[in-house]
Amino acid sequence: MHKQAKQYFLLGAVTFALAACSQGVDTDQQGTGEGTIELAEFPDRPYWGDTHLHTDNSIDAFGFGVRLGPEEALMFASGQEATATTGMRAKLARPLDFLVISDHSDGLGATRRLYDAPRLGVVAMGDETMLRWYDMMHESPEQSQRAIGELITAAANGTLPEAMTSNPEEQDAATAEIWGAHLKMLDRYNKPGKFTAFAGFEYSLMPDGNNLHRVVMFRDGLNRTGQVLPYPGINSDVEGLWDYMLAYEQVTGGQVLAIPHNSNLSNGLMFELTMPGGGPITAEYARKRAAAEPVVEVTQIKGDSEAHPFLSPNDEMAGFGVKGWELGNLPLTRETTNDMLAGNYIREALKRGLSLEEQLGVNPYAFGMIGSTDSHTSLATGDEDNFYGKHTGNEPSYQDRALQGQNLGTRIGRFGWHYLAGGYAAAWARGNTRAEIFDAFQRREVYATTGPRMTVRLFGGFDFSEADWDGDWVRAGYTRGVPMGGELEDRGNAPTFLISALKDPDGANLDRVQVVKGWVDSSGELQERVYDVSWSDMDKRSRVGGKVPAVGDTVDRATATYTNDIGAAELRTAWTDPDYVEGQRAFYYVRVIEIPTPRWTLFDAVRFGIKLPEDPMADAVAQERAYSSPIWLKPAPPAITEQQ
Amino acid sequence: MTLPNWAREPLVHFLVVGIVIFALLAWRGGDVDPASRTIEVDREQQAQIALVFERTMKRAPTDAELDTQIERYIRDEVLYREALRLGLDQGDAVVRQRMAQKMDILASSQAETVQPSEETLRAHYDANPQAFASDVRYTLDQLWFEDRKGAERALTYVETADDAFQLGQSISLPPSVDAMTSKELADRFGIQFTQNLDGLEPGENWQGPVGSGLGWHLVRLRVRDASKVPPFENVRSDVEDHWRTQTIARRKEEAFQLLRDSYKVTVKK
Repeated sequence: MHKQAKQYFLLGAVTFALAACSQGVDTDQQGTGEGTIELAEFPDRPYWGDTHLHTDNSIDAFGFGVRLGPEEALMFASGQEATATTGMRAKLARPLDFLVISDHSDGLGATRRLYDAPRLGVVAMGDETMLRWYDMMHESPEQSQRAIGELITAAANGTLPEAMTSNPEEQDAATAEIWGAHLKMLDRYNKPGKFTAFAGFEYSLMPDGNNLHRVVMFRDGLNRTGQVLPYPGINSDVEGLWDYMLAYEQVTGGQVLAIPHNSNLSNGLMFELTMPGGGPITAEYARKRAAAEPVVEVTQIKGDSEAHPFLSPNDEMAGFGVKGWELGNLPLTRETTNDMLAGNYIREALKRGLSLEEQLGVNPYAFGMIGSTDSHTSLATGDEDNFYGKHTGNEPSYQDRALQGQNLGTRIGRFGWHYLAGGYAAAWARGNTRAEIFDAFQRREVYATTGPRMTVRLFGGFDFSEADWDGDWVRAGYTRGVPMGGELEDRGNAPTFLISALKDPDGANLDRVQVVKGWVDSSGELQERVYDVSWSDMDKRSRVGGKVPAVGDTVDRATATYTNDIGAAELRTAWTDPDYVEGQRAFYYVRVIEIPTPRWTLFDAVRFGIKLPEDPMADAVAQERAYSSPIWLKPAPPAITEQQ
Repeated sequence: MTLPNWAREPLVHFLVVGIVIFALLAWRGGDVDPASRTIEVDREQQAQIALVFERTMKRAPTDAELDTQIERYIRDEVLYREALRLGLDQGDAVVRQRMAQKMDILASSQAETVQPSEETLRAHYDANPQAFASDVRYTLDQLWFEDRKGAERALTYVETADDAFQLGQSISLPPSVDAMTSKELADRFGIQFTQNLDGLEPGENWQGPVGSGLGWHLVRLRVRDASKVPPFENVRSDVEDHWRTQTIARRKEEAFQLLRDSYKVTVKK
């Protein structure tokens, strides 16, 4: 025993010495931020970010009119002032900690013509190019215009002189163009310890208008990301994307993950019980999916995908951000019918995952949850009082934007007011670097909010109790249990969860904390239940007919203001599952509910003096929320019996 | 007014569009050079297509995959050429934007890779000291109270208490922070708290109550470390990034001005 401990100690010392040696020299050649900053012992705070932002590099965003690019997006997210396309000046009161710019891969240098053009630039670039332009300029204006025109035409037609294309290294560099310039810029803005800029893109697969989009996010810097191009969404299937990701990891030694989003607009295709196109899901498909997609985006401007009242009739708080979006797929070319909803909503997918795991031995839908914006304005705004619009066509300069139609199917009933203000992703990490935050995503130690920045902790274990709150409970959580995103192995007794939710320090108080449990019962049926586990003024708000009474509503509709006279600053509990049955697969996640606050539509109505009609007015106040990633309870593996 | 039924038939739409395209072609595409209707996918072009596949998937395409890619290339090429013939590139905002973007990248691409000299960077550092200034940092202890009265009461005996940290109510906030930046302090305690600290003088005594979005605090503000500009050596890579960002922006602007100067532009009032 002692000997072993000594070996560990020695090993530790060697590792430490190695780490010390590598300080000082450039330790961050891969751009992951490893070894650049001092890390906390345990993840000590959530880092806030948006993993889903479009800039003028996205053709649709550009088509809607945005004229701000990735650089402005990074400056804005990290706290600098920007001027929105429609002219308003904007600055985040609280800057973000990280950002994934996720422009659509189609058009991000993913077509041939876009690779061809810059050869001339790479060969005759920089000062030389400028010198040549200068010479031509002084010959005659007509001459210069013709020269430039010819160059562009030649580039566009792929008929550049052979000399310009002969050097393979230069050709490689040329392949980069927009993507390459973008990656270099990201590396310049990535500041370990201060602000993390991830490379990424959106893979926009959309069969028949059914949304199967993913955001792809890289852990690495230019050294590795520069070796690949974004994977195109057109003419592809999702297994092709996973193969692409695997190849990236194998060849470069880097890491990459994909985040599905807007399952609410997939008409049942995002979380199917079958393979895409039919037939039973194979274990191989499930394994690939689980490996590539550890996290899903549960909430964003185009609605919330946590739960639907049709699927969860006993959950009176289901249905946030469902209105309008439940009508059909993304462009509303096909209606959504009730039988499709189970493939659209995440709680149901988590349940389906349990039963698929029972059949296949692997769970394709064991994911964590995050929120993001999906803003197409280059501005990562997620709060109700700073909604900059889904796209430039509904920035706040368009004062009646809440009542205007959308591009996505207004005739059938989607309006501006159906947009949510957007969500954010919170990552529990030991420091603000690409590696630390990416790894938090990979181990699902992340959570979603619909915009407010509440601090949510969740630990699961078998020996927690209320007494843990008196000591260093975070250390207890990490050493005697697992954090959100983790797995517990069934030991024959009920799990206990340490749950803490601290309000957004600049936001609204908390109404309640709930645990959502999903499980497979003894007859193989999927079940769910929502437990109220802690709420404000518990002594005065005792349950009536098994339900916790509503917290109240302080929102003044005439001024779009509220007070924190109701609700609590923090809610905590050590909660033990009262309905535990040995051997049943289950997941548990936490939903934190704020007191009612004005939505962006009410802020707009007050600011711009607009009278909201009945429907949007009824929807102008909401209870914002956070969703933790689940903790899974798995049956213990069968004891290995020796065979004679 | 309602349209007759035949006007809603997709076939009719198709025919009408076909006639329009035919008419356009007859009018604009009269003297087509036969060469422009020849597509030769030579070995070099095939290699290029294969290279793009390889750059994406990190492996060479199979024969079948290459065939698919070539078919796709031919399809794009045919449609692209026809689109050019129809003048569809004209007045297309996305095409305009992409072309303009390419010109910008041409102008700045060298600045992405050039290694600036030490003197260049030092001069840049000297010219922009505020760009490298550190955040204000705080070292403090704090006690949290749900209401103001509780905080005021505790203030009367906090200095004589055996363990001051026992006086605050329990909450998931760090009781002490060490050299924390104002940004991180605002993330943890809120903007209101950070702003209210401005009114306090640093010292070893407990002060307050200080209001925040979370409630009320007694604060022992030990150190408020003003923002300062670190020595060049400590921020060298930041200086380089900043220099590069500014140089790229300047080159784009200079290149644009060069071109712009050769144009005569009038904006009618």
